Order: sequence, then structure tokens, then C-alpha cells
Amino acid sequence: MITKKKLSRRTLLRGMGSAAIALPFLDAMSPAMAATTKMPVRMAFFYVPNGMILDGWNPNYEGKLQELPRALKALEPFRDDMIHLGNLTHNTGRALLDGAGDHGRCCGSYLTGIQVKKSMVEIKNGISFDQIVANRIGKQTRFPSLELGMEDARQAGDCDSGYSCAYTNNLAWRNETQPLPPILDPRALFERLFGTGLPMTPEERVRQSKYRRSILDFVTQDTHKLESTLGPTDRRKLDEYLSSIREVERQIARAENDNAQIDPKMDKPYGIPADFAEHFKMMSNMMAIALQADQTRIVTFLMTREGSSRPYRELGIPDGHHPLTHHRNQAELMEKVRMINAYHVQQFASFIEKLKSTKEGDGNMLDNSMIVYGAGLSDGNAHTHEDLPTIIVGKGGDNYIKTGRRMLVRRETPMCNLFLTMMDRMGVHDVENFGDSTGKLEGLDLS
Amino acid sequence: MQFGRGKPSAGAFLDSDFVSMDSVLALSLLYGMQAKNDCRVAMLAMSRSDLKTAGYLDLVNRFYHGPSGNFNQLQPVGMPTVGKPGQTPEPFVAVFDRKKADGAPVYHNQVKRVIETGDPNTLFRNYLEAQYDQNAFFVLAGPATNMISALDFRGMKDLLTAKVKYLVFADPEGNGKLDPAAAKRLFAEWPTPIVTVGADIGAAFPFPAASFDKEFKAVEDHPVADAYRAWKSLPADLPAPGLAAALYGARPKEGYFKISDPGTFKAQDDGKPVFTAGAQGKHQYLIADPAQKEKIEKAYVELASAKPAPPQRFRPPNAADKKADPANKVIVEPAKEPPKEP
Repeated sequence: MITKKKLSRRTLLRGMGSAAIALPFLDAMSPAMAATTKMPVRMAFFYVPNGMILDGWNPNYEGKLQELPRALKALEPFRDDMIHLGNLTHNTGRALLDGAGDHGRCCGSYLTGIQVKKSMVEIKNGISFDQIVANRIGKQTRFPSLELGMEDARQAGDCDSGYSCAYTNNLAWRNETQPLPPILDPRALFERLFGTGLPMTPEERVRQSKYRRSILDFVTQDTHKLESTLGPTDRRKLDEYLSSIREVERQIARAENDNAQIDPKMDKPYGIPADFAEHFKMMSNMMAIALQADQTRIVTFLMTREGSSRPYRELGIPDGHHPLTHHRNQAELMEKVRMINAYHVQQFASFIEKLKSTKEGDGNMLDNSMIVYGAGLSDGNAHTHEDLPTIIVGKGGDNYIKTGRRMLVRRETPMCNLFLTMMDRMGVHDVENFGDSTGKLEGLDLS
Repeated sequence: MQFGRGKPSAGAFLDSDFVSMDSVLALSLLYGMQAKNDCRVAMLAMSRSDLKTAGYLDLVNRFYHGPSGNFNQLQPVGMPTVGKPGQTPEPFVAVFDRKKADGAPVYHNQVKRVIETGDPNTLFRNYLEAQYDQNAFFVLAGPATNMISALDFRGMKDLLTAKVKYLVFADPEGNGKLDPAAAKRLFAEWPTPIVTVGADIGAAFPFPAASFDKEFKAVEDHPVADAYRAWKSLPADLPAPGLAAALYGARPKEGYFKISDPGTFKAQDDGKPVFTAGAQGKHQYLIADPAQKEKIEKAYVELASAKPAPPQRFRPPNAADKKADPANKVIVEPAKEPPKEP
């Protein structure tokens, strides 16, 4: 649809109170040039803890991706949209001279490339690379970055052999001492995305809940006004988008009903569903909406905290994840870990499906994204920090990443080399070194 | 022998062009000393871009180290990707041709592509960071090409200064000529003390090759002994400056060699070093002591032919240990016999 008047990319549907809904990319935002408009490139990190059973993760071949290993089966429909990387290493996750505590180190240093200080009180890390990018391009979006998680946002105490929980429970770091704790509660995330940007007070929440009104009700007038200016394609796009917001609202309301026994004035975990898959779906749906509406281009997502001992009863696994990964090569325990690995990817695949099915320009959102899924440990039993499980889904815009293949880099190649390359792709071109990088990652784009 | 209490044994970094059995035996000797907890083989790098030699060195590494396990990962061999590959010593290839009675190969080459090796600078950096201050030493038994590359690597000079006690340079006359520019810079810019081991030391204390058919026989399939046997033209007594450098590197106070007063080496345009005595200098050279010949030979054979033993795990003493144990002794776990190569 080509219109004469260009709709601003920053248009918001506003309503009473604090409601404000950013819009997805519509053709009306770039009239007469819709096909050539440059879409924003997004990057996101999904982190899973406790390493993997590598025989279920690593293909036994290189080159074109064929049948995927067991843990990655759910990503089969997206084989051509992903690259499977081998041999990336985080030396700063290793003990070096600090003894036990691989879980604390590997998560703390995952996006910073810094050897974190072993302490429960004197926190010392470095700025994470997502925040370097956020500092540089974050002004172009409502939120410079979003930090999401699903379990345990404790910031103090001993979470691994003398390492503070700040290291195991955060991915993003604003600076040496300041982590950016993830949002765990779907309601809090919703309010952040569609409110003033700040979570509601418990009292405000109770008031809204009492009247059971959708945020879409508050912006009805603005919505109708906008719709009247749009062509049929944009109208359909807008309708799908608003429906997805409504669906998230319903999911949250359902979860809150299920948690009705919890005092509504309690800030957390007010709306956190007990079911892992449901929780993930809500968080990742909102993440997709935020990316679609260009509310942010940078997201970190800690699926569960590093060292997590969460049981997976939904899979018939009452044992904790972390203890299971200390399997000492016992087949029964290893099988359970394989199931958990595959279960995590299964959830992730539903998010990828959402991006892939969301049209954007001539392609889809996935084409303009770099979604990294990986772990800070490779073999959870041996606590190794080389050949870290890493895939990137999405082409990073302009078909930058040559996807559909398994790429092995040289042994001990720093993970920070990948980060340096991603920074460049996100528009930060003048950073020469990051963490322990030795240069950009060669071969990602085959250029 | 250790550099200090409360630290593990010193980390050994061996860099060579690996064109001779001397360099391979230096590696065997370092592993022999690792079995006695006199040092830990921290890293192995070659200064030529020769995949076949890298494959053989990886085999030797696997032979001594055993399979990777918890807290005990086998490191890749460092190999540059630039420069001349040079000539692969034929025995390093020939060992892979050896067959068992059933026709299956005795050894498997697991390094067939560059990605199965590591970048020397990245490895130097990564494994130096895992060493206590002044608790590492370098043995250089080839041209100084990798050393100079390391000097230019981000942050490496500070790391070398902090972690490395000294570099022992074997046959500086011969190896200096292989890369004169690197030799010049090494003597001028290397931040730690350098001890040289001249060709005269190598000739004065050769390795008795007869031991390959005696002491080395304790292990049926020994890739070092097999390489020697495939090396048809070697003399009965192998000149061994690399072995001497490794022996001195890990046991500097054992009295195997005399050592010069301090001074400064300066490499000439052809790479040949010239020594000028001076109390402020940080270079020294080893002097042969004929009285030590028997002791040195015994150490060579005993250590180089020692059975493989995996590295012992060092647990850093924490504050509570320090209080409880005033001697602050090193805590090590007992070595276990590694499983045989499949």
C-alpha cells in the first residue's frame, strides 16, 4: 500500500492513563519506498544453564545443515535460518587461578568476556557487549535494551562456591559493578512495554484488575483513527499485532487467576505461572511484540539462572537440573539432561516460529534478527568452557549471515570474537577489542 | 621442585619448530617431570605451519595426557597459519602407518585441519592467565618467530612479565639464524630473563639413543620411540640442546649445569647472538660441567621414558586452609593411570 503521507515510525496509540502502544512497521511508514526501506537489525541472547549433553547438540558433520541432533529437533523447520557454531571458547569462564565456581564464572562472563571477581560482596565484572550496543543505538528505541528471565532474580548471596548470585542470575551488565536484573514477571513486563515504562504499583494493578479492562480498550479511539488512514495490508497487520497483545493479556490474566491464592499486593511473583512453557510463551510473545514494534533492538533472556536446580516435572523429571548434569556418565541421568536440553529448545523454537511468521518488508522478522541461543558451559559434567553450544538463528539483515550450515571455527577461538562481529553488525563499528577477543569472527558471512 | 609454597608446580610452555627428535624428547622430558610434579606442561606450540607435524605432536600430547576429563582438558597444539611450513620430518608421518596384528592402525591422527590446532598467541594468553605469578617458564627450541608474534599481541607483554620467570633458549646460534629478525627482537625486547643453552651443551650431554630399545620398551606402543625408530639416520648419541633447556627450565637449582654471570645478548644481523657481560643484564648462558654428565644422562633417560601420568589437580588453598595449615602445602589429588589410546 502506498500512501502520500508518511506515518511516523514512532507513532504511538495513546489512551487514558498511562497506556501507550508502539506500532509494528507498517507500509504507511515508508510510502513509495516500502520495498527498499531498511529494517532495523535486532539481536537477542537466550541463555540456558548447566551446559549440554553434547552428543545431542553437536551435529557429526560440517557444512550444510541436514538432520539436526536430538536437542535441536524442534528447530528443524528453521534449519535454513540458523547457523550452528562450534569451538567458540570463553577462557574467562575457566578457573584460571580462582578454583571452583564454573557456574558463577561462566554466566558472569558470558556477555562481558571478563574474569569476574570471586566474591559474594565485592562484585566486579565489566560492561556486557549488549550494553555497549545499547549505549550506542539505544536512543533510537523506547528501551535501549530489555533484560528478561524466568527464575530467581536474587542479587546477593552465594550461588556457586563463593560467587555472588549477581553472577549467576544476570546476563547484562551496565558497568563493572551494576548488573541489569532480568524481569521475571509477565505482568511487570507488560506494564513496562505498554505503560509508562515503569511497573505499576500493587495498588494500580489491583485497580486495573478490578475493572478487568484490556489495554486495547484504552486506545480504541486512537486505533480507529489510525485504521481509517491505512490501506488493507496495513490494517490486517495492525489487527494481527493488536490481537497478539490481547492474547498476551489473556495469558497473563489466566496466570494471575491461577495464582489467585497469592496476595495481589505482593509485588512478585504475582503473575508468574508455575508452568515453564506457559511462562516462556508469555515472556517471549511480549519480547516478539517489543522487537516487532521496534521498542527495543536488544534483548537478553536468561531462561533459567546458571546452576539452576529446577525440576522438570512436566517431563517426568523430579530431579534438579544442575544435580542431573553431574551425571558421571550414568546413562539414566544423561538421558534426563538430554530431555531437558530438548525441552528448552522446543520453547525457543516457538519464539522463532513467531518471528519467522511475522512479515516485515519483503521478508520476515527473523531475516532482520540475530537470535543467539547458547550456554556458558559446554559439557556440564566436566564443566568445560571450550566448544560452547552456540547457534544463531536469523540472517542479521541483508542476508548478512550465511545460514543453513554448521561452521567450526579454530579451537580456542574467543566467543568475544563473535560479539565483536555482532557489534559491528548492530552499527557499532569502532570497537576494536572486546573482552579477550582476538579479532572479528571470520566466516560468519563468507564475505 | 617448585617455585614457592601454595602454588602448583611451574607451568612449562614449549615452543619449537619440531624438526628434530631433540625437541620431541624435550616434550617427553617435561611430561616426565610433570609425572613427578616438578612442572606442568601448560602448552605446546610449533613455529611452523605444518599440519602433519602438528598431528604427530597432538598424538604425543594425547599419549602422555590421556583423555580429557573433569578439570583436565587436553589443549590443542599451537600452530601459526602464516610462514613457511618447512619439511615435515618423515618419522612423524610414518608412526601413523604402524599397524596392529589385525591390520588396524596403532595410532590415529586427529589433527587434519587447521581448525583442530590453536592460534599460538591465543593459547599463550589463555594458558598464561591460568598460571600464578612468576610460576611459568618458556622453553624455546627453534626460531623465535612465535615469541615475537606474542610480544605484539594485545596485553601479552604485561602478562609475560607477571607470569614468566624466565625463557630458556636452546641453541641460540643455530635457531637464531632461522629467523634473525626474531632473534634480534627477542634479545632486545623479551621482558623476562633469558638463559641460553648453546650447541656445545647439546653436544656435551647427548641423549643415549640406546635407551629407546631399553627404558622406552616399558610401554608397548610409544609414539616417541616409534618416531625414533623410523628416523633411520640418527646417531647413537643425539645432540640434545632442547632436552638440556627443558631440564634446566624445570629444575634450575638441581646443579646439572653451571651458569654464567649476568650480561646481555645482542643478536647480529645473521641472528647469531653476542654476549656482553654486565651485572645489570638479564641474560645468562649455561656452562657445561663435565662432572655432571652421568647425572644428566640418567635424568634424561629416566624422565623422557617415564610412563604417562595425567596432570595432578591443584586446589588453590583458601583462607581457611591457610589458617589450618601454616605450611600452606600444595594439595594435590593422586595421579591415576590414564586409559590406553583407543
